[in-house]
Amino acid sequence: MARLKYIIIYGLLLCLFVLPVQARLFGAQSFMLENGLQVVVVENHKAPIIKYMIWYKASAVDEKEGKGGTAHLLEHLMFRGTSNVSGEMFDDVLKQNGVESNAFTSLDFTVYYHSLDISKLELVMALEADRMKNLQISPKNFALERDIVYQERKQVVDNNPSAPFSESYRKVLWQEHPYARSVSGTEKEIKSLTLEDVQDFYNGLYSPDNAVLILSGDIDMQTAKSLAQKYYGEIEKRPLAAKAKFPNLKQNIRAKLEMQLPQINTPRLLKTYIAPSLSLNKDEIYNLSVLSKYLGEGETSELYKDLVLEQKKALAVSSSYDYLSRSYGRFQISALPANGVSVQELEQAIDESIKKAIKNLNIDKINNVKDKMLSGLVYLQDNPFDAADTVGIMSAAGMSVNDIEKQAEYIRAVQYQDVKESANKLFLENAALTGFLKPLGEN
Amino acid sequence: MRSRRRSKSSAFFAKILQYLLVLLLVLGGSWYFYKQYISFNAEKILSESILQEKTFVARPVEVISPHYKIKAYLLEEKTAPIISFSFMFKGAGRVSDDKDQQGISGLTAAMLTEGTESLTSQDFKEKLENYAIGISFSAGLDDFTGAMVTTSEHQKQAYALLKDILIHPRFDKEDLNRTKLQLQKSFLLQKEHPQSILNLKFAEYLYKNHPYGRNPLGEWNAVSKLNRQDLLKYMQTHFAQNNLIIGVAGDITPENLENVLDDVFGSLPQSTAIDFVRNPDMDFNMPELNIDFAAGAQNISRFAAKGVSRSDKDFYPLYVANHIFGGSGLSSRLSKAAREDKGLTYSIYTYMSLADKSPLLQGEFSATKDKYAKVKEILRQEWNKFGQQGATEQEVEDAKNYLLASYNLRFASIANLSEILLYMQKEDLGLDFLQNRNNNIKNISTEQVNQVAKKYFKPQGYVSVNIGNFGQNKEK
Repeated sequence: MARLKYIIIYGLLLCLFVLPVQARLFGAQSFMLENGLQVVVVENHKAPIIKYMIWYKASAVDEKEGKGGTAHLLEHLMFRGTSNVSGEMFDDVLKQNGVESNAFTSLDFTVYYHSLDISKLELVMALEADRMKNLQISPKNFALERDIVYQERKQVVDNNPSAPFSESYRKVLWQEHPYARSVSGTEKEIKSLTLEDVQDFYNGLYSPDNAVLILSGDIDMQTAKSLAQKYYGEIEKRPLAAKAKFPNLKQNIRAKLEMQLPQINTPRLLKTYIAPSLSLNKDEIYNLSVLSKYLGEGETSELYKDLVLEQKKALAVSSSYDYLSRSYGRFQISALPANGVSVQELEQAIDESIKKAIKNLNIDKINNVKDKMLSGLVYLQDNPFDAADTVGIMSAAGMSVNDIEKQAEYIRAVQYQDVKESANKLFLENAALTGFLKPLGEN
Repeated sequence: MRSRRRSKSSAFFAKILQYLLVLLLVLGGSWYFYKQYISFNAEKILSESILQEKTFVARPVEVISPHYKIKAYLLEEKTAPIISFSFMFKGAGRVSDDKDQQGISGLTAAMLTEGTESLTSQDFKEKLENYAIGISFSAGLDDFTGAMVTTSEHQKQAYALLKDILIHPRFDKEDLNRTKLQLQKSFLLQKEHPQSILNLKFAEYLYKNHPYGRNPLGEWNAVSKLNRQDLLKYMQTHFAQNNLIIGVAGDITPENLENVLDDVFGSLPQSTAIDFVRNPDMDFNMPELNIDFAAGAQNISRFAAKGVSRSDKDFYPLYVANHIFGGSGLSSRLSKAAREDKGLTYSIYTYMSLADKSPLLQGEFSATKDKYAKVKEILRQEWNKFGQQGATEQEVEDAKNYLLASYNLRFASIANLSEILLYMQKEDLGLDFLQNRNNNIKNISTEQVNQVAKKYFKPQGYVSVNIGNFGQNKEK
């Protein structure tokens, strides 16, 4: 139903109006090699530089039960050499050529990226293509990197006083869903990982047809095509191992998590609704993007005006909506209560404020919000490195370049009734968790 | 018998020699073939690449406004229809806060985007969003900085808003109260994470009573008492044409910029009344300070030694030396020794910090309690070794190659460009700095690097402040 309406509106827009000319957002183009590797190109000729990213659609969610941290440890080991290039040589060659390289692992994706002078692109492509098929993990390097990821977890997760809250929060919210996992793996899991775990993960999932290559910068389509073919064309796709199975979560759950922790000096609140995403109910993602902007993005948003400026119950409140995921999306509201206001009282105020804002939504308000969202689109053409990140996650999550380029049109097409409908569904029907994090001994 | 045996054996050896020769040829041939066609050959890939190096030179110009003679560096860049301004009021950073008003620069920075006399905070923010204009301010340690980005389409509105802020800030009582309460929360949040606690303690310990030792947020007691008049007075005394520096990049011509400069910044007073800030007395031989933090999962150590300012003759050699020692990520000496070869830490690094009155060579590492002492010892050994023996020719060559080849990466965004133009002026690098920079790097010799290594990496010549669990040996 929503979809039909959407198509009609979209069609009307196309037929009746000459759309304000938004020639391109990124100017992204795409092609696919025979082995299934998708390549997305964003041209930007400002300087002779490029950002190269390869997004593997394989990560923490695809790990075997009890083997948390496999994808992340593999990410580290990808820098330790192949049968052709030792880890040291890999690093030296990139450094000598001024290439800035790194990688990250999220729940859904494992990503390797380089920023470089365009003249060094073939070098990077040769190295990346090599480690897509020839990774070699020695027991010595495996043991070293397992120690390093253990230290990483201690530094990045466990040294953060709010970490126990975040970790419990994820588990309660996502129940049996693999999004409940920790990307780094727990201490116990990290220690139990074996070389075979990592090797199996690599063999089964680092196949060209399970990856997206992003080239954003001083390059043209023809060069991109010939180089992609030259370096990746020969890599055969491997039989894909079983990927994550995403269970259907029980909806209608309203859970609460309250924690008092040492080292926490001031209370805060985080509320998450499990939401539609690009992969699930993609018809609603633009409605909910507009909703998030309207409710809580920035200091002219409804929740900020009501709760911070008018009622003075919060000192900060904001919302965010993440729909670029392989399974469910998330709609989040976070807030810091004002002095003398309890987190419980603030939660109630937030709920009421949301109801009020949705009730008051009308055509003028929605137009104002959409205008704000669309006013700065030309900035997307500035930084080729930022463009790589954005186009990268959109593509990896499964958005076509056509849809990427049409973001503005899709947002423009959102009507206030659509937003109301999606909002009511989200807030009334979807599973949600409210978390209160408080200082020790504070009620 | 002997001779016969000899002739027999010499024939035997000749045969062997023949075999050996053939074997050598075969091996050599396969080695060549392997290097050329099978193994990874970086030089070959680069020399045969269809993408060769391009000459890319950014040539900024100096623009001087006709009326008030306000100066700016400009790089015209038309890839996207957007413009970026970076500007600063030199010396007006946190270090210049009156002793009894610590935090006033930071509070002013936060309050400057809360409207103007004719626009309420909400009206002002609505305008910024509707026109896609970004305006922000920040009180740095030494300087007070501002940034503005706008689309070419709405540049007129952007200039008008910026001008309005600088001349007629609103500083409404209610906005001020709210911003103070938000800051109060920041004071609380600041003392949660061990890293953030360490940062505070480190500055305190290193700089004692010098303003560099202050909390970047100021003092809550002082901040809570500040009023509108205080902020206005701070602006009048700290923001003027004689401490204003501007860098601009993007879709704007020099002719247009000239007029914009007069219009936006022309109403500022001629000169400031900023108190002189003395140089801190530094002692890098102080004993280390251990801060107990029972909840910590790791110990974090932060260390510092004397560094050099941007204009010092040792700057470039030390820049390269730091890169080799701890600045280059996983391939630095520190990372190789403590992380890559031993798996003792996730991160260990050094960097040069360029505070006006106290340039430092700084670094940090963290490790779980059981590994901490080992990493600390590796740092000590590597530091002393680097000071005594310096770097190899190859290391210097590699570092220079990296610094040269990665140079263009900084031109990715126009906001970054305008900021570079700003700091070129702050540090007096000259209008032709962007053209000369790579030569400055190329000209560094291994000898120079090793001279500065000796001079700045003195045995045990750094002071550390650490946070975590230290068991019995609390304070050294």
